[in-house]
Amino acid sequence: MICRSALSRGSKLALGRQGARGFAAAASPKASYEPTTIAGVKVASRDDNGPTTRLAVVAKAGTRYEPLPGLTVGLEEFAYKNTNKRSALRITREAELLGGQLTAYHTREALVLQASFLREDLPYFTELLAEVVSQTRYTTHEFHEEVKDIIHQKQAKVDASAVALDAAHAVAFHSGLGAPLYPTPSTPIDSYLNEQAVADFAAAAYSKSNIAVVSDGASEHGLQKWIEPFFKTVSAQGSGSLNNVASKYHGGEQRISAVGQNSVVIAFPGASLGASSPETAVLAGLLGGESTIKWSPGFSLLSQAAAPGAQAKATNYAYSDAGLLAIQINGQSAAVKKTAEAAVKALKGVAESGVSQEVLVKAIAKAKFTLLSGSEVGGVGIVHAGANLIHGGSPLKVAETLKAFESVTGDKLKAAAKALLEGKASVASVGDLHVLPFAEDLGLQV
Amino acid sequence: MTAPSLASYVTKRPWLSKLLKPVAGWYSNAALYRQMGLKADDLISEENADVLKALGRLTPKESYDRIYRIRRATQLSLQQKILPKNEWTKPEEDVQYLSPILEAIEAEAKEKQALDTLVPSKAGH
Repeated sequence: MICRSALSRGSKLALGRQGARGFAAAASPKASYEPTTIAGVKVASRDDNGPTTRLAVVAKAGTRYEPLPGLTVGLEEFAYKNTNKRSALRITREAELLGGQLTAYHTREALVLQASFLREDLPYFTELLAEVVSQTRYTTHEFHEEVKDIIHQKQAKVDASAVALDAAHAVAFHSGLGAPLYPTPSTPIDSYLNEQAVADFAAAAYSKSNIAVVSDGASEHGLQKWIEPFFKTVSAQGSGSLNNVASKYHGGEQRISAVGQNSVVIAFPGASLGASSPETAVLAGLLGGESTIKWSPGFSLLSQAAAPGAQAKATNYAYSDAGLLAIQINGQSAAVKKTAEAAVKALKGVAESGVSQEVLVKAIAKAKFTLLSGSEVGGVGIVHAGANLIHGGSPLKVAETLKAFESVTGDKLKAAAKALLEGKASVASVGDLHVLPFAEDLGLQV
Repeated sequence: MTAPSLASYVTKRPWLSKLLKPVAGWYSNAALYRQMGLKADDLISEENADVLKALGRLTPKESYDRIYRIRRATQLSLQQKILPKNEWTKPEEDVQYLSPILEAIEAEAKEKQALDTLVPSKAGH
């Protein structure tokens, strides 16, 4: 039985902690990745002496840098294929025998080759990643027999929400960050994507200046010992050039009709990776969307705004030189329309009258949790640490960022929301355009 | 399927290779496929999964030329003729365009078989 006094004591404790607890102390010094350089390779590492290790090569080869459409996905699918030293089959079987996991994925900025394995297998997987980066053969038959098929399968899975998010990026940033994260079946990539073009892109992207090795759970000594001999084969300077265009925010509206699914993305200029704008992170936490607790829609503005039949969530997509704070709404067309109207209304409410202290405390706590859990589990921390390094920054300082979150006040949040609404928005609607609203009807400037 | 071959044994020994080369050249001419405009690799039997896979890996140009040679040879065979001498396959044109691909495919299959049947043992046992 839970007695009343215990409950109130617990909530008092929770509330008391918000202000009093030193989060810099709570976040252990190991929470941040430490940057070093080993034999010309940029390395970010963190070691909590756990039994498993995650080692990743983060390359400056995301869709933003591809010189021709589709090359990033081509390069991603060529990961762990035949190399000069061993076959794709052998790589797979050996990794299985060691109980390791090999994955390759990409973001708009980075292509990540990640291996997760038992701590003692560090030499094997360091060698493997270096080999994949520097000695993959990019054979014609693998391209035709395997890579192409997988790309087509993944293209078929691109849904309305992904198309809408891509469209919002496209109107926001035009080229560069505006390139689609995954080309849709109607994107003409066949004339650009072939094994030779992928090999050329690899030669440009997989060089010591364009990659970073991120390790989570490997000893400093082990990295020092093994990165130097194995990454010798990686060229110091890439041949050929990447599509390096600085990002500029444009804004605008894009409407695409689609059958079956509906999605609306309302996006504003957000915070970039290195930028110290804690308001944006807290605002994303305040807008929230997905309920993180059971039996309740939660406190966040979007979860309260969401009409039955639609889901809404807010995310700050942070890139090296720009950011996009996006509200994504998916579901049935009528519900999506209602939710979009309610979401804009909620944001306007913040801009006009601010938020209560209680909600602010919740939003800050949510932003903190998102940051810490993101950098701790999943690949987010690895990708961000690597992306920061390849763009010449330093990995996220977790303790400092947490402190900055604390300093956000209601007024700052109000000002941030106001600035967003006064600027140009990027709105993308995908689905039943007869129902989905125009940006102007929502009360946004585009 | 590639036929069993002593080629690697012979080419490793220069004296043997020197001795056998004229014989090989004579045999290739005597086999009469060059007089039909074919290359040695055109004679590999297609009724085999590995060979079909290898044929799929040819470039479009190689594939087209191969079909052309085979159709021409079929026609010649039907007419009981051989090509005029200037159209015979020259020894330097008679290159292996299919065998290397076929060997790679067989090596893949062999590796797969080896990996499928391998027995892991603990280090030090």
